[in-house]
Amino acid sequence: MSEWIRVLKNGIYKDNPVFRQILGICSSLAVTNLLANSLVMGVGLMFVTAFSSFTVSLLRTMTPKHIRMMVQTLIISAYVIMLDIFLKAYMPSMSKALGPYVGLIITNCIIMGRAEAFAQKNKPLISFFDGLIMGLGYTLVLLVIAFFRELLGFGSLFGIQVLGDQWVNWTLMIMPPGAFFMLGIVIWVSYRLFPHEDDKSQGKAGAKA
Amino acid sequence: MAKKKQILYPVLFMIILTVVYTFLLAFINESSADIIQRQQEIRVQRSVLYTLGLIDSTDAALSDTEIQQLFDASIAVKEDTSGTYGTYYAYLKDGTPAGYVFPFTGNGLWGSISGYIAFSPAVDTILGIDFTSHSETPGLGGRIDEAWFKEQFRGLSVSGDNPIVYRPSEGGNVDAITGATLTSNSVSAIVNQMIKETQTFAEGAAL
Repeated sequence: MSEWIRVLKNGIYKDNPVFRQILGICSSLAVTNLLANSLVMGVGLMFVTAFSSFTVSLLRTMTPKHIRMMVQTLIISAYVIMLDIFLKAYMPSMSKALGPYVGLIITNCIIMGRAEAFAQKNKPLISFFDGLIMGLGYTLVLLVIAFFRELLGFGSLFGIQVLGDQWVNWTLMIMPPGAFFMLGIVIWVSYRLFPHEDDKSQGKAGAKA
Repeated sequence: MAKKKQILYPVLFMIILTVVYTFLLAFINESSADIIQRQQEIRVQRSVLYTLGLIDSTDAALSDTEIQQLFDASIAVKEDTSGTYGTYYAYLKDGTPAGYVFPFTGNGLWGSISGYIAFSPAVDTILGIDFTSHSETPGLGGRIDEAWFKEQFRGLSVSGDNPIVYRPSEGGNVDAITGATLTSNSVSAIVNQMIKETQTFAEGAAL
C-alpha cells in the first residue's frame, strides 16, 4: 500500500511532471488560456499516460530491450489516435479548440518518461496508477495556470464571466508570453512550498524512478 | 526470453503488435466515422441557419435532430457547376428564394479565415455572416467570433466597390475590433471580395 501512496505523492508534488521534471511544457503553454481546454487536455493526457503505462508494463517481460522505444511509441500513438477520434466524434467544439495539440500529446515527454522510468520496471496495475497520477499532476498545474490566465485575460472562469464589465482584460495573459510568466511563477512558488531533498546537494531534480 | 540481440523475435514481436493495434484503430475509426461526419454536417447546418437568422447563435440550444429538421424544411442544397463555390445553400420561404448562403475562405492575420455568408436573392444585402475556422489571436482578432461583431453585418445593404467600410471613416457602416486592426482589415477585404464575386456569379448563374 505504501508503494501506492508514494506514487501518489510523487505525481502530485514531490516529482510533479511539470514543475519538478519540467516535462510537457509545450502543451502546458499552448492550451492554458482557457480552463475548459486545459481540463480536457489534462484528462486526455491522464487517459493516454495511464493506458500506455499499463500496456507497456503488461508487455515488459516480452518486449526485447533494444526495440522497447519503438514499442512504446507505437503504443502511445495508438492511444492518442483513439483520444483524437473520441474528441472529434463526441466533443467536436473541444476538438476544434485544442486543434493540433491533441495529436501532439504523443510528443509529450511525460508519457514516454513514465513508460521508461516506471512502467518498464513495475507491475501493470501500479503502472496504470502511476500514469493516472502523473497525468493528474500535469492537469492540476495546467488548471492553476489556466485559472489565472482566463481570469485575468478574459475575466471569466470556465467561460462564465466573473469579473464585472469594468474589468479590463489583460490581453498579455491570453497570448503565449502570459503562459511563460505564469509557468515561471508556478515553478517558483512550488519550489518554495515543496523543497526537494536533492536541491541542497545541487542534484538534478526528477530523473529518479 | 529475448535477452540476447536476436533478429527474428523482435521483428515478429513488432509485426504482431503493429497488426493488433492497426486492427484496433481501424475498427474504432470505422465505427466512429459516421458520427464524425454527422458532427461536421451539423456544424455546417448550424452556420447556414445562423447566417440566415433562423437561429440566434451557432450554439443555440437545439438538439441535432431539431437542427436537421429546421435545415431540411427551409434550405435547399445547391451545387455550383462552375466550381467557384462547390456547394451553396438556397433559403426557400414559401417556395420562393429568400436568400443564398455561400462558403468563403480568405487570408487572415495568422492563417486563413473560413466561414459562411448569406446574401439576399438580389445580392444587394448581407443577411448574415459566420466564421467557422480561423487562427486569429484569442481575445483580439479572435473576437470576430463574438455575436456583436457578426451581428453588425446583418441587413447591411451593399453597393459600390468597397461596401464594407469601418467607422469612423466616411460612409462607415461597421465597427472594427479595437486592437485587431489587421484582422478587421482582413475580414473587410474578404467580405468585399466575396460580395464582388457573388454579384458576378449571380448574374451568370441567374440565382
